[in-house]
Amino acid sequence: MYQAVLTTTYLRSKIMPLLAAIGVALCTLMVLVTWSVMTGFLAMLINTGRTLAGDVSIGWPGSGFAYYDELIADLEKDPLVEAACPKIETFGSITPPGGRPKGVLVVGVDGPRFAKATRYESTIWWRPISTPLPKDKHRHDPRLGGLGASAWEAIYQNGLSLTRRDPKTGQSIPAMVPGIHVTGLNNRYREGYYKPLVSERRTSDGRTEIIDAFLPFDDDQPVGLTVFPIDSQGRPYEAHTRSLPVANEFQSGVYITDESLVLVNLAALQSMLKMNEGLRVADGSAPPSPTNGESFATPQPTKFVTDPARVTHVILRGKGGDGDIASARALRDRAMAVYDAFAKRHEGKVPPTSEMEFMTWEDQNATFINAVRTERTLMLFLFMIISLTAVLLVLSIFWSMVREKTQDIGVLRSMGASRAGVAWLWVSYGLAIGLVGAALGLAGSVLIIVNINPIHDWLGEALGIVVWDPRVYYFTQIPNTVDPLDAALVFVGGVLSCGLGAMVPALRAAWMSPVAALRNE
Amino acid sequence: MPLLQAHNLFKTYRLGRVPVPVLRGVSLSVEKGEFLAVLGASGSGKSTLLHLLGGLDTPDAEPRGRIEFDGKDIAAGNLDGYRATSVGFVFQFYHLLPELTVLGNVLLAPMIARGPLGYLGSKAVAKAKATEVLAAVGLAHRLTHRPAELSGGERQRVAIARALMNDPPLLLADEPTGNLDRATGEKIMDELLAIRRARGLTMVVVTHDAEIAAKADRQIRLTDGRM
Repeated sequence: MYQAVLTTTYLRSKIMPLLAAIGVALCTLMVLVTWSVMTGFLAMLINTGRTLAGDVSIGWPGSGFAYYDELIADLEKDPLVEAACPKIETFGSITPPGGRPKGVLVVGVDGPRFAKATRYESTIWWRPISTPLPKDKHRHDPRLGGLGASAWEAIYQNGLSLTRRDPKTGQSIPAMVPGIHVTGLNNRYREGYYKPLVSERRTSDGRTEIIDAFLPFDDDQPVGLTVFPIDSQGRPYEAHTRSLPVANEFQSGVYITDESLVLVNLAALQSMLKMNEGLRVADGSAPPSPTNGESFATPQPTKFVTDPARVTHVILRGKGGDGDIASARALRDRAMAVYDAFAKRHEGKVPPTSEMEFMTWEDQNATFINAVRTERTLMLFLFMIISLTAVLLVLSIFWSMVREKTQDIGVLRSMGASRAGVAWLWVSYGLAIGLVGAALGLAGSVLIIVNINPIHDWLGEALGIVVWDPRVYYFTQIPNTVDPLDAALVFVGGVLSCGLGAMVPALRAAWMSPVAALRNE
Repeated sequence: MPLLQAHNLFKTYRLGRVPVPVLRGVSLSVEKGEFLAVLGASGSGKSTLLHLLGGLDTPDAEPRGRIEFDGKDIAAGNLDGYRATSVGFVFQFYHLLPELTVLGNVLLAPMIARGPLGYLGSKAVAKAKATEVLAAVGLAHRLTHRPAELSGGERQRVAIARALMNDPPLLLADEPTGNLDRATGEKIMDELLAIRRARGLTMVVVTHDAEIAAKADRQIRLTDGRM
């Protein structure tokens, strides 16, 4: 009982516990604000990293595999599968108008099917919008007006179907949808919107030209695409180059994706890569010469075989919404089973199950996700060191307080207080400081996190301090959600740290001889 | 039967590696209701003897001395309990807790002795008793004052009230007037004697003041740790 009375009294009458409580409050606040923002940031990255990945991918990179439509039909019969679609992944290069060739990851997809199996639809950037981005208070985003809603809608539909209308024939022709940073012709503003860039460029012959292009709208600005075909046997052909119009651009939220990935109409890419259905001269019709390796010139009957169309991947979307990692893993296992049955039906014509890649969205983004997780762990580690500093701060404050209150300890012992009672007095005092500090820190951090965006905006407007500039960081809104479990952990950690910091001085006080304590001056 | 008996008490402190013997075989006996004055020069071991008698310190293990309270070896029982209920201490420098009020200082005694549940169960009774004890030492008007707002004599009265709060049969006072002027000291001593008479208290007072010692039933003198 006397511990409670003295703890309350000391808390009210001393400056040192107040300082310790403020220290704890600041530590709690710092840890919780950064932890919440980082966790929100990680969740946001994972979420955006999944937008174009689907939940599970079945892959045979390189030459690809055939009969994929049959596999997709099998997969879509499974109760766990919401949708499946074919995909080709290959490396290539693009040459934007007036620009230099740039290496990219070329992904061939069937727009509408791709949209069903992924969140592609939400990544298409150029579309009509009625609500501005949260920071675009002056409505500068061209999508709010500009070309007019119907034109934006047409561009959006082009993006969805990965086609464009040929201005000469009026026919739909295959098109590409590059990431919004691939061509380098879009300027990202602080408020998070883009405007087509008007700039001067030096050409290879030394001239300067003005680039004023909005590729998804301009009819005469095709982009050159070069890919390297590989036949069904894995043998390379010569590079194939073709000009394709830009149907739209996408923003996945992952800069590296938006800067280096180009979506291309599946049929067009299949054709360019010679992965579409076609006749092939059968192997062995002209055996090589034993002397120089050349085929015999002697005519032999030419045999043709039909090569079925191929893709490198089939991607799946699971039923039931977002597909957490556990469901994605279950879906991957199911996909393996379905593919196994499919491979047995086409033995020798498709790769065996053991050779295929079955990857969840987490596996596909492992490098990226692990990097952010490592950063978060590193930050946690740094905060643990900071928290240790807080423990040492409390310890040193308590050490000096115990020294200051040594006579009181002697008096209490002379009145019959036990060693455990005296130890508990200081530990409970530490816990009380922790409780006050952590509660203040928690309240302050919730206030800051919930209002972090207005605070950040105010700092930018009033003082010119923009910590998270959307031109640099790839998000317009700072994550502002407090996870109750994280908050509880940080709170309990703050309180226990203080208890821990008070423990050593408490034990020192408890083991002090009452006589020595009374004589202390 | 004596209330307090000490047999062959030795106590040696260490100054670094040097052993400093303070008590060298002290034995004494204090009857119930007796007022014993312990006299001696500075460093003679008076306070050490008082600390041993009050269970604040323990005698040397070898040769083993023994202190009996009411016929029982205090070392065999719970020393904390002994200090809480059987002994009241009054120190020369009052040793009040500066953050607590007069009433708060006095209430510490029942809080410690009864534990949280025991105290909460009898909080009102304890408060009433503390007020009564403080009134008995003339401090009814000072209940909410802090020690810093009191005179030396008043502080010592608070210390006396605190020592008496749990009705201990034994009061141990270490130079209770040593920090007071003569007139105040005499007054405090008279008050202590009056309380002793009223409560039938057994009292051991350490002093080097012959006038205080003269008021005791019996005097013993310590010289170099020996009686």
